[in-house]
Amino acid sequence: MEKDKLSMLWESQQASRQELNPALLKQLASKQRKGQFLTLTIIGVTFLVVGLYALIYALGTWNNFSLGLLLMLLSLAVRIGFELFSMYKKETQLVAMDPLSFQKYLKQHYRLRLRVNYWITPLCFGVYLFGFTLLLPFFKQAFSGAFYNYILVSGFGSIFIVGIIIVRSVIKELGFLKELQG
Amino acid sequence: MNLETDFDKIFHLYAEKVYRLCLGYASGDEALAKDWQQETFIKVWKHRKSFQGKSSVSSWIYRIAANTCLGDLRRAKKQLPLKEEALAELRSEETETPEDQIWQMYRCIDQLTPQNKTMILLELEAVPQAEIGQTMGLKHGAVRTRLNRIRKSLLKCITHGKG
Repeated sequence: MEKDKLSMLWESQQASRQELNPALLKQLASKQRKGQFLTLTIIGVTFLVVGLYALIYALGTWNNFSLGLLLMLLSLAVRIGFELFSMYKKETQLVAMDPLSFQKYLKQHYRLRLRVNYWITPLCFGVYLFGFTLLLPFFKQAFSGAFYNYILVSGFGSIFIVGIIIVRSVIKELGFLKELQG
Repeated sequence: MNLETDFDKIFHLYAEKVYRLCLGYASGDEALAKDWQQETFIKVWKHRKSFQGKSSVSSWIYRIAANTCLGDLRRAKKQLPLKEEALAELRSEETETPEDQIWQMYRCIDQLTPQNKTMILLELEAVPQAEIGQTMGLKHGAVRTRLNRIRKSLLKCITHGKG
């Protein structure tokens, strides 16, 4: 009888109003795929253009500007590369594994992410910041005072905001890892 | 069943079950459950070519659904504690409604381990135990024993508010 109570409770729930349909799902899947492709293309082309520019510029005159640019580019490439790899691997494992194995994988996944966020991310962040400061004297020389101030405020401001986003995501992932282990 | 050509049929067959499985994971948060349901079927469609037919289509879909819910960092909105307060009050007045009992059931399900949660949610959706075993990567006998235990602890929790 008791067994029935649980099932009866479950069955007494109202059915959902189905707003989804297969055509819409296929559309969403294709949109998601296009979005991922576009993101990768934008990142790839940006790195290619800036990388080529840095390379050509560095070949002519190797100075702190080319070093700064290269450091910023490399630190971003490492961090974004890890993020994309991490996302891709998580999705392929999600589709391939049973829930128990996936839960074990998730623990490993978030432990690795935390290690990366504690060591690699601050390192990338520091290298990026250092690279940016190397560019500043060149900006000061090349641009007007007002525009230079704008670069300073927007540059350091955006770095500060990215820092806050990273800290928040680390806290969130830490909480999730604790939940998985609990 | 072919995932490519029979996707529409597959969606209509499993959409409701997947939604309710997600609802259990989301502790009754309908918006979150709908998001997870949508994400599940998007993944099914996107990865249809990677399905090798080693398990049944349904087991594969349930796995993706459970893993989607399990792997999302978003948690259910804090609507449950509010309900819980109302529930305690109602219980003291002995006027517990079926809706309150459902909320209590979600609260109890939420206390289970992810694996146990998946198993009982599938069983409540009348998925055969052999298929639950296939989904979870467990033997049928082990599934039966564990489900009995989970059911008992859930009923205790729903009736007395203890896990």
